[in-house]
Amino acid sequence: MNQNLFSLAWRETVRSAYWGKSIATNIGLGFLALYFSTSFLLLGFAIPEILTKDFPNDDPVSKFNSILLAYFAIDLIIRQLMQKLPTVSFKPLLLMNIHRPKIANYLMVRSVFNFFNVLPFFLLVPVTFSLVASTHSGMATAAWFLTIFILIFSNHFLAIYLKWRFNEAEYGFFILLAALAGLFTINHFGIVDLSGGMGKLLDLILVYPALSSVLVLLPVLFYFLNVRFLLSRMFINMLSGKQKEEKISDYSWLDRLGENGRFIALELKLIWRNKRPRSVAMMTIIMLFYGLLIYRSQPGHEVPGFAFILGGIIMVGMFSISYGQFFPAWHSNYFSMLMCQRLTMKQFLRSFYMLVTVISVVCYILTLPYAFLYPKIIYTHLSMLLYNLGVNIPIMFWVGMYSKKRLDLNQSTVMNYQGVSASQWLGALPLMVGPISLFYLFKLALGDTGSYVALGTLGFVGILFHSAIIDYFSKQYRKQKHQLIRNYKNS
Amino acid sequence: MTMIHIENLIKAYNKEIVLNIPELTIEKGEIFGLVGNNGAGKTTLFNIILDLITASKGQVLSKGIVVRESEDWKDFTGAFIDESFLIGYLSAEEYFGFIAGLRRMSKTETSDFLNGFADFFNGEITGKKKFIRDFSKGNQKKVGIVAALMGKPEIVVLDEPFANLDPSSQYKLRKLIKDFAAANGTTFLISDHTLENIADVSTRLIILEKGKIIRDVPKTETTLQEVEAFFKPVVEAELI
Repeated sequence: MNQNLFSLAWRETVRSAYWGKSIATNIGLGFLALYFSTSFLLLGFAIPEILTKDFPNDDPVSKFNSILLAYFAIDLIIRQLMQKLPTVSFKPLLLMNIHRPKIANYLMVRSVFNFFNVLPFFLLVPVTFSLVASTHSGMATAAWFLTIFILIFSNHFLAIYLKWRFNEAEYGFFILLAALAGLFTINHFGIVDLSGGMGKLLDLILVYPALSSVLVLLPVLFYFLNVRFLLSRMFINMLSGKQKEEKISDYSWLDRLGENGRFIALELKLIWRNKRPRSVAMMTIIMLFYGLLIYRSQPGHEVPGFAFILGGIIMVGMFSISYGQFFPAWHSNYFSMLMCQRLTMKQFLRSFYMLVTVISVVCYILTLPYAFLYPKIIYTHLSMLLYNLGVNIPIMFWVGMYSKKRLDLNQSTVMNYQGVSASQWLGALPLMVGPISLFYLFKLALGDTGSYVALGTLGFVGILFHSAIIDYFSKQYRKQKHQLIRNYKNS
Repeated sequence: MTMIHIENLIKAYNKEIVLNIPELTIEKGEIFGLVGNNGAGKTTLFNIILDLITASKGQVLSKGIVVRESEDWKDFTGAFIDESFLIGYLSAEEYFGFIAGLRRMSKTETSDFLNGFADFFNGEITGKKKFIRDFSKGNQKKVGIVAALMGKPEIVVLDEPFANLDPSSQYKLRKLIKDFAAANGTTFLISDHTLENIADVSTRLIILEKGKIIRDVPKTETTLQEVEAFFKPVVEAELI
C-alpha cells in the first residue's frame, strides 16, 4: 500500500507541468547541495586539528560535544526556513480503503529522505573516525555515533512538527526565535551552562554506552506528535477554509493616488490577506536585524567591503527581492480576468514599482541607525537602495516575463505548505550575487568607496530611465500575455 | 450592426483540430446561446474571442476591431469564464469596487448598479465579512456574472453561467439576462449544458460538436424540442 502512495507522489511531481521546466532550479539546488556537502566534509576532516589548536587545554572530544547544542539550535532554524514539509493531496485518498494512520505514517517516512538529514553525516563520519575512535573503544564510539544519529532525527521530527504548527500560527516562528535567543543569552552569560550540560551528557555516553538506548525515546516521541497532529487535520472541513468573520479594513485612502492607488491597494490586500506574501513581508522585518550579525566589529577583524553590499542589498532590498522574484505570478489566479479588463500593462508594472520603491525607502531609513556602528553605512545602503530600484527591478520584470508557475493563493492556510523551501531562495541569489560581483569588478579600478559610488550611479541611471523601462516591459508583457496565461493554467 | 465577426477560425493542438469555424456573425442585441457536449470547443471559442488564447488560423473581429491586434475591444466587453476571473482575497464589495474602477464607474453609479441585483444576490453576497474565496461556488458565480455586467458593456461573454446556481437563482438569472439585454441592447454570448435554460434565454441557438457548428437556428416555439432531439439519440446510443 505504501508503495502505491509513493508511486502516487512520484507521479504528482513528475506529471506537474512545472517539472520539466524546473530543471534549472534543480541544477541550482544540486549545486548548493554539493557545495554544502563538500564544505561539511572538509570541515569534518579539519575539526580535530582546529580543536587541538584553539583549545589546547580541553579534551577535543568533550569540546566537540559541548558545541553540538549550538549546532542543533541553528539546524532547527535552518530547517524551518529551508526544509520542505511532506505533503500529499490526501483528499481523494480519504474515501478509499486506506486507513488514515497509514497516510500519516507514510508522510512521516517520506519526510526522512531529506537532504538535511544527510548533510550532518558528511561532518560526523570523519569526526567519528579521526577524533572519537582514536581515543575511545569501538563500543563507546558506536554508542556516541548512535546518539548523535538519534539527535539528528529527533531534530528532524521536531522541526517538522514545529513547522506544521507554525504554518497555522505564524507568530510561532518568532516565539521560537525569541526562545532560542533567550536560551543563547542564558548560556552565554553562564547563568545555566546548557551547552556544557549537553556536552557532559555526551561525555557520559562515551563512558556508559548503554545510556544511548534511552535517547531513542526522543525521536519516537516527536514522531508520534507528528502523526497525532496529522490525524487531527485529515478532514475535509480543515481544507475548506475558516468560517470566522474576516476583518476587512478600509483601503480607500489609497484612492487619492488615482489609478495607481487602486493597484497598490490591491497589492497591499494581497500581501496582508494571503499567507505566503505575508511571510515574505515578515521576513523583510526580520532581515532588518541582519546588520547586527554582519556589522559586528570584532577586535582584529575589519568588516570587509563586500559585507556592506550584502548587508545593504539584504536589508534594503529584501522585500523587493523576495516579493519581486515572483512578479507577476502573485496575480496568476486571476490573470486572465486582468487581461480582459481595460487596464494598461503600464499601470500594472508602475504600481508594483511604486510599492517596492516606497517599502525600500522605508527600509533604508530604518537601517540608518547602523550608521552609529559604521558611518559609511549611510552611503553604502543608499548605493544599494539605488541599485536595487534601478537595476534589480528591471531584472525582475525581465524574469517575470517568463514566469511559469502559478502561485495558488486561494487555498486556505491549513495544510497549504507550498513555497517555503530552499528553491524559493534560489531565485533571489542572482539578485544578491550580482551587486557583489560588480562590487569586486569596480573595486579593481576604483577602490572600495569608488565602487559603492559606481554601483549607486548604475542604479541612479536605471531610476532616471524608469518610465522608458516600464514602457518597454509593458509592451513585452503584452506580447507574452498568452504564454503567461497558458503557463499559469498548466501549473 | 455586426458585433462579432469570425473568419476562417481554426484552433489546433498538436495538429488535432479542436475548433473550426469558417464564418460566424453575431448581430447587436442577439442573445447567442452555445450548446455542445464536453470538448465541443465552447470555452475555446470564448477564450479566443477574449484574446486569452491565440487562434491557429483566422481571426475574430469585435465591432470591427481585430481582437488579436488591438485592446480597444476591452472597453465594451464584459466576461466571466470561470473562477479565475475572481480575486479570492477580496470581499465582494471590494471586488465590485475594483472592477468599477477599471470600468470608470463612480461610487454612486456602482452602488445604484449593485442595488439593482439585490434580488439575485438574495442577501448572500454583499455586506458579508467574508472573502470571495470562502464563498460557495454558486455565490462566486453570482459575483462573477454581475461583475461582467458592470459598466454597461455592449458585449457580454458568460461561460456556463447557470452551472452551480440553485434552481431559483437559475430562473432569476434567465430573467436578468433578458431584461438587461432588452434595456441596454447588449449582445450576450452564453454557453450552457442545461438545454432548458439556454433555450429559454437565447434568441439564437448554436450547436457545436467537435469544434464545428452543426446547427444554427433562431429561437422559435419548437427550438427546445429540436435541440433535445439532437442530443437525446446520442445519449441513448451510448446507453446501449
